[in-house]
Amino acid sequence: MSAIGDPVALEILRHALTAAAAEMDVTIWRTSRSTIVRELLDYSTAVFDRDGGNVAQSARIPQHLNAMGAGLRTVIERFLPLDGWADGDVVITNDPYCGGQHIPDILAFRPVFVQGTRVAVVGTCCHHLDMGGIAAGSYAANATEIFQEGLRIPPVRLVRAGTINAEVLAIMRQNVRRPDMLWGDLQAQLASLAVGAAAVERIAAKHGTATLIAACTALLDASERAMRAMIGELPDGEYGFEDFIDDDGLGTGPIRIHAVIAIHGDTMTVDLSGCAPQVLGPINATRASAASAVAYAVLACATTPIPANAGCERPIRLIAPEGTVVSARHPAPVANRMVVSHRLATTLLGALAQAAPERIPAAYYGTSYVCSFQTIADRGRGVLVEIEVGGGGGHPAADGTNAWSCGMHNNANIPVEMVESELPLTVTRYELRPDSAGAGRQRGGLGLVREWRVECAEAVFTANLERFRTRPYGLAGGSAAAVGRLTLVRDGQETALASKTGNLRLRRGDLIRLETSGGGGFGDPAAREAAAHARDLALGYVTA
Amino acid sequence: MTRPGVRIGIDIGGTFTDLQIFDERSGTLNACKTLTTPDDLSAGLLAGIAEAGGRFGFAAGDVRLLLHGTTIATNAVLEGRFPRAALLTTEGFRDVLEIGRHVRRDLYGLRPPLRPELIARDRRIGVAERVRADGSVATPLTEAAMAAAIAALRATGPETVAVALLNAHVNDAHERALRDAIARACPGLPVSLSSEISPEIREYERTATTALNALLMPVVQAYLHRLTARLAAAGIAAPVLLVQSNGGVCSPAVAAAQPVRLLLSGPSGGAAAARLTASRLGRPDLVGVDMGGTSFDVCVVRGAALAQIAEGEISGIPVRLPMIEMRTIGAGGGSIAAAGPGGLLTVGPASAGARPGPACYGRGGQEATVTDANLMLGRLDAASFLRGSMTLDLAAARAAIAARVAVPLGLSVEAAAEGVVALTETALAGAIRLSLFEKGLDPVDFALLAFGGAGGLHAIAVAAELGMREVIFPASASTFSARGILESDIVHDLAASRVLRAEAANLPHLHRTAASLRADGEALLAADGVPPERRSFAPAADMRYVGQVFEIVVPWPEGDDMAALCARFHALHRQRFSYADPDAPVEIVTQRLAATGCLDRVDAPPAAPPAGAAAFCTRHVFLAGEWTLAAVHRRETLTGDVAGPAVIEEEYTTLLIPAGWVCTPVRDGHLSARRAAA
Repeated sequence: MSAIGDPVALEILRHALTAAAAEMDVTIWRTSRSTIVRELLDYSTAVFDRDGGNVAQSARIPQHLNAMGAGLRTVIERFLPLDGWADGDVVITNDPYCGGQHIPDILAFRPVFVQGTRVAVVGTCCHHLDMGGIAAGSYAANATEIFQEGLRIPPVRLVRAGTINAEVLAIMRQNVRRPDMLWGDLQAQLASLAVGAAAVERIAAKHGTATLIAACTALLDASERAMRAMIGELPDGEYGFEDFIDDDGLGTGPIRIHAVIAIHGDTMTVDLSGCAPQVLGPINATRASAASAVAYAVLACATTPIPANAGCERPIRLIAPEGTVVSARHPAPVANRMVVSHRLATTLLGALAQAAPERIPAAYYGTSYVCSFQTIADRGRGVLVEIEVGGGGGHPAADGTNAWSCGMHNNANIPVEMVESELPLTVTRYELRPDSAGAGRQRGGLGLVREWRVECAEAVFTANLERFRTRPYGLAGGSAAAVGRLTLVRDGQETALASKTGNLRLRRGDLIRLETSGGGGFGDPAAREAAAHARDLALGYVTA
Repeated sequence: MTRPGVRIGIDIGGTFTDLQIFDERSGTLNACKTLTTPDDLSAGLLAGIAEAGGRFGFAAGDVRLLLHGTTIATNAVLEGRFPRAALLTTEGFRDVLEIGRHVRRDLYGLRPPLRPELIARDRRIGVAERVRADGSVATPLTEAAMAAAIAALRATGPETVAVALLNAHVNDAHERALRDAIARACPGLPVSLSSEISPEIREYERTATTALNALLMPVVQAYLHRLTARLAAAGIAAPVLLVQSNGGVCSPAVAAAQPVRLLLSGPSGGAAAARLTASRLGRPDLVGVDMGGTSFDVCVVRGAALAQIAEGEISGIPVRLPMIEMRTIGAGGGSIAAAGPGGLLTVGPASAGARPGPACYGRGGQEATVTDANLMLGRLDAASFLRGSMTLDLAAARAAIAARVAVPLGLSVEAAAEGVVALTETALAGAIRLSLFEKGLDPVDFALLAFGGAGGLHAIAVAAELGMREVIFPASASTFSARGILESDIVHDLAASRVLRAEAANLPHLHRTAASLRADGEALLAADGVPPERRSFAPAADMRYVGQVFEIVVPWPEGDDMAALCARFHALHRQRFSYADPDAPVEIVTQRLAATGCLDRVDAPPAAPPAGAAAFCTRHVFLAGEWTLAAVHRRETLTGDVAGPAVIEEEYTTLLIPAGWVCTPVRDGHLSARRAAA
C-alpha cells in the first residue's frame, strides 16, 4: 500500500470500509426477526474511525444518516469514554437523551482491536418492534413525558468482553410486549457487529493498522472537500423558508418550522432559531434527529453523490437552540420525531430551492404514516406496525412519483397477504387516491388509500399522522397537494379521526381507512401539456 | 433411444451468437461464433448452424437436438416493447402493480425515478370477489361479477391478459373461473394466471411476475413461430429446448405459456458451464466470474451445485421464480474512470459500452476506461486485440487516462492507469466476497473460474486479494455459456404457498401438497417425453422463524419427518446467519419441487494440444509499479507450464499471469494458475 495521500489507495480503503458496512447490513437484513426491521428496512450500519467519527455507513433510510455518529459521540463524551471499552464489549443505548432519536431505535457499538490497538468502532441501529410503554410499538400518540414512551436504556454494556450481560437483557425482556422479537433482533445486531469487526480486522491485516487509521482521517477530509465544493457552487445569500406542522396531538398547533440557510463561500449556516418551542405531545425531535434532516437535505442537493460521513458535517454550522421542537430538552416525549424531521426536510429543501431552483422538487407528502394495530383474539395477541407513504413532489423535469417513499424515510410496505396470514385483519382496499396531488406544469405524485377491517373480537389502534391541515406546498406556481384523512367506519357510520389517535378500541367489523397526501405541483398548472392532462384523466389520476 | 446425431448448444448474445456442437457419432466437440442478427435472432441462429455444418461436417438432417438460450424476453423488457395488456385483479387492489413496495434505491436523489409501467391504470380492472388467507371465500365470484369484468376487459382491446387475485396462491378457483370466462368471450386471447405462473405469497411480486408473463407471451410465441418455420425450411426436424433462468431447459410449449421463465436466463449458461467444470475438474467449490464490457457476473458453485434464489428482478420489477443466484455489478472493460468529488478516483458503474467504447477503440470515445488502462499498461496489445482484427489506439488511451484521471488527481499516467486497474479489482473482489459472505462461506476455500472477454486480465489479482489459491481459465472461454447450455437438463420448478407452522399436526396437509406437486412434476416430465428412469425430484420448503419475512430454502427429501426438516432449517440458518434459535417457532411459507429430466452428457475425449513449440515473444508490461519484460504466449500452442510474469493471448481474450503464479494446462484444454512453490 502506498502513502495515504494517494487517492487510489484511499479509494480502495473507502471501498473496503463501505463493503464492511454493507456486509453488516446484509447480516441484519437476513437475520432479524421482526417485520419492522426487515420489511420496513428500518435499520442501518456504520464503521467509525478509532475516535468515533463516522467513516462509512450503509443507511437504508435518511433519518439514520449520521445518526449513529451523533449517538456515538454523545455516548463517549458524556457517558462511557472510548478508552474504557474493551475488546469484545458491546455498548447499547436507546435513550434519546443519550444520543438517540427515539426509544424503539437501539444503537449498538463494538470496538475493533488489532493487536491491542483500537483501530475502529462498528455500529448498528435497529428499530425494534416494541420497547414497552403505554402503546404497542412504543408509539404513544398522547405521551407527554419520555417516561411513558417505553424502556430507556442508558449507555451500558450488553456484552462485556464477549459475554452477554444476562441481567441487562433480563430487564429489557421484562419490559417489552414481544421479548422474543426483541431478543431476535438484538441477536441480529450482535451478529452484524461481529461481521463488521471481522471485516475491519481483515482490512487492517491487509493494509496495516497505521494505514487504516490514516485512511479514515483522509476519507473524512475528502468528503469535507467535496461538500465544500458543492456548497461553493451555490450562490451566496440567505434563503429563508417556513412550513407548518398540524399539531402535536394534544392541542398545540400549528407548529412553525423555520429555517434560514446562509451560504458564504464554501460554508453553510443552518439557523433553526425560528422554530417553535418544544411541545407537550411526542413529536419533538432531539438535536441528533434534526441534524440528520439537515444532512439529508444538503446531500440531496448535491448533483454528484458525496460519500456520506462525518466530514460532510464540517462545513455546516447548525444553530438549533435547546428547548425548541428541533432540539428538545428532557423529558419531552419524542416517539414520533419523524413529524419534525419530515417537516424540517421540506422546509430546508424549500429554502435550498431558492439557491438551486433547477433541481429541487415541490414538497413530498411529508410524513411517515405510522399505523399500528394490536389485535386481541382467543389465540393470542398480535402487533402490526405499518408505515405508509404518499406522492412525491412535482420536479422541474418530471411529474412526481405516485405512492413512493420520499425524503426522510425509505420504507417498504407490508404485503397484504402477509398481514392477513399473520393477524386477524383484512385489508379491504389498497389503491391510489385520485386528485390527491398538487396540479402543476409537472404535477405531484398521487397519495394512496389503505383500509383495514378488524376480524377479531377486539383490537387497539394507534396512529401518528400529519399533513391533515397544512398541505404539501407547490413550487414555482404549482398547487399544494391534498391533505390526508383518517376515518373509522363502524356499523356503516363514518367518523373522522384525528391525525394523532392513541389507543382507539376497535371491535369486530370496524374498518379504518387511511388516505394519504400526494405531492405538491411544480410550475403553473395552465402550462401543463394538454396530452399529459388528458392522460391523467384517462387513467383516473385526476377527475377534472 | 434415438440414433446418434449432432447436439448443438446455442447462446445468443448482444454481439455474437455462440455455438458448441457435439457430434455423437464421432465424439467430437467443436465451437464457433457468428454475428447476432438483432432484427430476427432466429436468422443468425440458422446461419450459425449452417456455417457449423459446413465446417464440421454434418447435414441438417443429422441434428438431433437444439438447446437454445435467448435474450428475446430480456430485450423486450429492457426496451419496453410490449403488447397491449390488461390485468384482472381483486376489486380495491388494481393499483397494487403500480404502488409496488415503495422502496427507492437512490436514497438522496430528488428527481422522480423512471418506473416501468407494465399495464396502465385504465387497463387494470377490479373484480368483485375475495379469498381469505386460509383459502376460504369471503366474497364469491358471481356470474354477474364475471360478466362485468369481461365487459370491462373487452373494452380495453387487449392482446394479452394477466389475472392476479389476492390469495390466489392458496385458492385458485376464482382465477380459473375467470380464465374459462375469458376463453368463452375472447377465444384465443392469451391468459396468464398468477396461481400458475408464480403461486407464492406476496401479491405485488406475484402480480408483477404474472403481468410480465402476459406481456411476454405474444413476443415469445412470435419468436417461436419464426424459429420453427426457419428450422423446417432448413430441413432441421430436431426438437428445440429453451434455457430458463433456473439453468434448466424447457420445451417450446412451456416457454410459450410461461415465457417469464426465460427472462433472466442470460447468465444461466455460463453458470451451468461453471458447475460442469467444477465437477469434471474435481473442484467442487468454485466461483464463476464472467466479465465483459459492461458487467461482472458472479455465481457460486458449492459441492458442484449452484445456489438458487426464489426471486430476481429486471428494470426494478421483481420476477418471483427460482433462478440461479448471481451477483452482477457494473464493472467491465468499458467501465468509465474519472476523478470524483473530493479528489477521489471513481471507476464505473457507467460504461462506454461497445459504442463509442473505450477511447482506444477509436470510435469517438473520450472517456478513460478500464480497457484503456490495460492497454496503456501493456497488458493488452494494440496490434493483437481480437487476433489483430481491430487495432487499438494507444495514444488515445494514454490521452484519455491523462485528461480524465492523471491530471485531475495529480498522478503520473502510469500510476493513474494502475490505480484504475487496482480499484476495479477491489470492486470485483468485493462482489465475490459479498456473494460468498452472505452464505457464510470463505473465499480461501474456493477456486476462481474466469471467463468472458475481460476476465482473464484481472482474475489472478482478484484471487490473490481474496486469498484464493487457484484460478481456472476454461477452454473456449468465449463460447463458455454455449458449453453449459449443451449439457442442460429439463427442469420444472413447482411451488405451493401457504403459511403454516412447522409442526407435526400440519404434516397431513404438507404431505398432500408434496404429493400433488410430485404428480404435477411427473406429468410435466412425461409430456416432455422423459422416461421415468431419467426423472429426479428435489422437494424443498421455504422456512423461517415466525416473524421473519425472508425464507431459507431447505431441502426436504421424501420420508424426512418434521423434526429432521426443522433440524436442517436450524443448521442452515446458523450457517448462513451465525445464529439459530431451536426454541423459536418455525413456519413453512412455500413448498417447492424441482422436477428434473436428465438429458445426455457430452463425453468428448480431451483434444490433444497441437504439436510444435509454443509461439512466443516478449513485451513490456507495467506490473507492481514498474515496467517489466513479460513473455507472451498463444494459448492454442501452449503445451507446458507458464511462469509469471507472462501474458497468454487467445482469440477473444487475454490472460495476465503475474510474477509468483504458474499457469498449467489441465484436462479438457482448461488452464490452471496457482501460486508458484516458494
